[in-house]
Amino acid sequence: MPTYELALVLRQLPRPELISVIRRTAEAIFDKGGIIRKLENLGTRALPHKVSEHGVVHREGTHFTIAFDTAPTQIADLKEEFGRDIDIIRRYVFKVQEPEEHKCTLHEEMLPPAYRKDVQEIVEAAKRTQKKKYNYNSGLDYYPFQK
Amino acid sequence: MLRAGCQVLTQTALPAGKTGGNSFALEFVRWRRKPRWLPVAKSKVFRVPERKKQTEEERTELMRLHNQYKTQLRSVRQYLREEVVRHEETSTADHIVLTPEQEEAEFQKCLDLNAAWNARIAKEREARLAKEREEKVAYVQERLEAKQLREEERREQANQRVLREIELSKTYITRENLDAAIEAALANPVDHNFAIDLDGNLYRGRNTSQLTEASPNPNPEPNQQALSN
Repeated sequence: MPTYELALVLRQLPRPELISVIRRTAEAIFDKGGIIRKLENLGTRALPHKVSEHGVVHREGTHFTIAFDTAPTQIADLKEEFGRDIDIIRRYVFKVQEPEEHKCTLHEEMLPPAYRKDVQEIVEAAKRTQKKKYNYNSGLDYYPFQK
Repeated sequence: MLRAGCQVLTQTALPAGKTGGNSFALEFVRWRRKPRWLPVAKSKVFRVPERKKQTEEERTELMRLHNQYKTQLRSVRQYLREEVVRHEETSTADHIVLTPEQEEAEFQKCLDLNAAWNARIAKEREARLAKEREEKVAYVQERLEAKQLREEERREQANQRVLREIELSKTYITRENLDAAIEAALANPVDHNFAIDLDGNLYRGRNTSQLTEASPNPNPEPNQQALSN
């Protein structure tokens, strides 16, 4: 089962109700045969703009993320279910990607242009396209090609 | 532009046809004439040109000349043919006459030479094919080994992943510990924002406060952690 991350924005609620909303959400994932890996509370903050959801205007919200595993076929059902919950303002499901491995090449990039590998390649390519010039001091006393 | 035939015709007004008075038998039809693809004029469709009159004397003279020419040519041709036949009979320049024994020996010699050539080529071919076979076997072997290695690596990775998941499964949140997990999460709000200064120090958290419960870290103590890099 792939790992997903559910990002929730919840209505500003008193603590017991907040707990019940989160439990409801988690139970929904369990009911669909999912596994919950992690719960994260990102705090209650003012929303970046006012949000009208389920007929109510919201200006503050509690941000919460749930990392979970479930079958890809269940995602649409989960989204639909969370969409009906009036305490959830926003819900987004992301697929968790493997972290990309990359090496730091800053010290190579900071070299002077003449020493950089990509610049050297460009110079080579430009040389290849240039027409070869005849060397006049090569011993022949006439020009051997057509002028 | 040269209208030799027409000019000659108009100047001399000879009745002897268009090329009759023309010493080099040229008739230019490009100018002042109807195009070649036009049919015969309607008024000339049923005109039958009159045959030239030939006198008896003229006919006999022409016949005599014709017969003379034909006879002379025939005699020359016959002479040449006979010469060729004579030459073929007398000379052996272009063909060698062999006895049957000699012919048999010649054929045997050719056969032996051909067999020798074939044997040599067969030896070369055998060597080449053996080499190619060896190379192919080595290639296949190499590919098989590479595949085995790849498979092992893949299995190893899968194993590692399974082990990691088994290890992680201890921290999974189940229905039993859901309440405790929610409590813990609410008690510990996290913030993934951070800032880096020029020295590579990492400042986690942010300065804006949260709304409820007396902002946990309005001025986050700089969790300085020099970036390894």
